Amino acid sequence: MNTLLALQQRFQKAVISGDQQYANAMPGDVRGRLEIYANAYRGRLIDVLADNYPVLYRAMGDAAFRELANTYISAQPSTFRSVRWYGDGLVDFITEEDDRIPHPALADIARMDWATRAAFDAADANPLTHAELAGIAPEKWSDLRFSLVPSFDLIDIDWAIEALWHALNNDENAETEAPEAHRHSLIIWRYGLETRWRALQPLEALALKAVQSGASFAQCCVTLMENGSTDPAAEAAQFLQLWITEGVLASVLSG
Amino acid sequence: MNKHLEGFGLGLRSEHYRDFVESPQRVDWLEIISENYLVPGGKPLHFLDRIRRDYPMVMHGVSLSIGSSDPLDFNYLRQLKALAGRVEPAWISDHLCWTGTDAINLHDLLPLPYTEQCLRHVSARIVQVQDFLGRPLVMENASTYVTFQSDEISEWEFINELVQRSGCELLLDVNNVYVSSVNHGFDPHAFIDAIPVASVRQIHLAGHEDHGDYIIDTHDQSIVDPVWDLYAYTMKRTGFIPTMIERDDNIPPLTELIAELDMAREIARVEASGDSSRGAERVAA
Repeated sequence: MNTLLALQQRFQKAVISGDQQYANAMPGDVRGRLEIYANAYRGRLIDVLADNYPVLYRAMGDAAFRELANTYISAQPSTFRSVRWYGDGLVDFITEEDDRIPHPALADIARMDWATRAAFDAADANPLTHAELAGIAPEKWSDLRFSLVPSFDLIDIDWAIEALWHALNNDENAETEAPEAHRHSLIIWRYGLETRWRALQPLEALALKAVQSGASFAQCCVTLMENGSTDPAAEAAQFLQLWITEGVLASVLSG
Repeated sequence: MNKHLEGFGLGLRSEHYRDFVESPQRVDWLEIISENYLVPGGKPLHFLDRIRRDYPMVMHGVSLSIGSSDPLDFNYLRQLKALAGRVEPAWISDHLCWTGTDAINLHDLLPLPYTEQCLRHVSARIVQVQDFLGRPLVMENASTYVTFQSDEISEWEFINELVQRSGCELLLDVNNVYVSSVNHGFDPHAFIDAIPVASVRQIHLAGHEDHGDYIIDTHDQSIVDPVWDLYAYTMKRTGFIPTMIERDDNIPPLTELIAELDMAREIARVEASGDSSRGAERVAA
């Protein structure tokens, strides 16, 4: 029998459960203050979640966030080597049951927090330049496909959270109002060392989703046309120019 | 093979990136938390590369979990080795502890039982990691809040035996010796006296939270007098060994930490005969 394994399993169970009764049930194993490990465990992971979800933390307030974090920690202990990635399941966790957050817009705030956290240290990129695109012969355009920079994310949200997120991100004491319902998309990416985000109009969101799924320029135009664009080629070309200016595209993938 | 390092260092924290980039600081070398740079890109690696140009570095990990009953995580070790290729650290350290089992990580430095079974387990794993990394591993004594009924030997006997069996080197955390000595009621000088001097590559100093009859190792305060005294005692015994201050929370301006580092410089000057290369000569010999 592996006594080291058995000992570590008992120890870990006592720390995770944080239950004094359980800790007291181990006097045969340890002398000292097991509860210090139990308290530190919860406290540390709550801090980690607050770091990884800074605006959610500010929007909920300390007490409500701690309660949510505690429930999450009990449900999903960390399996990561670095705390950097802990909390990857929080958005799904808060949306799978209605009563886990006091306002549904908080789920969108969490989505935006996680996407900005991911953009912060995503792989570096040399974004596609206007000159590179200009060097491609016009007859090849219809087959062009594009890759997005590694930090890029597009999230669909149900609430107009941008003003609130921006205000609380800059100032933890900012006065904010509850967001209005508004189904739309946001993109989040990093340009150099600077994390950027903005909201998309519906047509642009469709076009970017098409690019993301590997559609060619011609297929993007079809998508735009099917969704009411009167001049899809011109509109798609405008979007392309904008995305290049903003540093959203990484490269041209030949057709 | 581990390289040579001289003088006094600090743990690199993101709060001080700008200070290190904008002007030279009276810090001889820096220690990075390895896990903070096991990321794809962005600011952490940008500042790491930039600051590495001006400062020697060592890598300090928190999740090797050398004492865990789980298998070694070679995915983590591959990332660690790749980071070492980028940083070219003087050495790579982690803690004599475990951080979780059954694939869970508690993200804490948990205590090991000082038993023959555990010695065999940990020394074999250190050898495996050293083979993989192609260099000796530097192991740090952790602060602990419990001891095990099953302990067969003292912590310092365990460490001595581990060095002999695995060929690992040591990061002596003087604050952790003090914290554990208060928590478990042993004489910290006995620990220092027993440590195999020739294997000690680095010293950590840090602050903690004193609760009277026990201490929590928080790294969020200034270093207290009893820890300075123990550092002086250590320097007298070992001669100079590269020393640094760890501050992980409640991070003050860099100037404050450098002022604290000056206290270490002064103690080492007096107690280690004012010769900061003595440790180096000893290592070379």
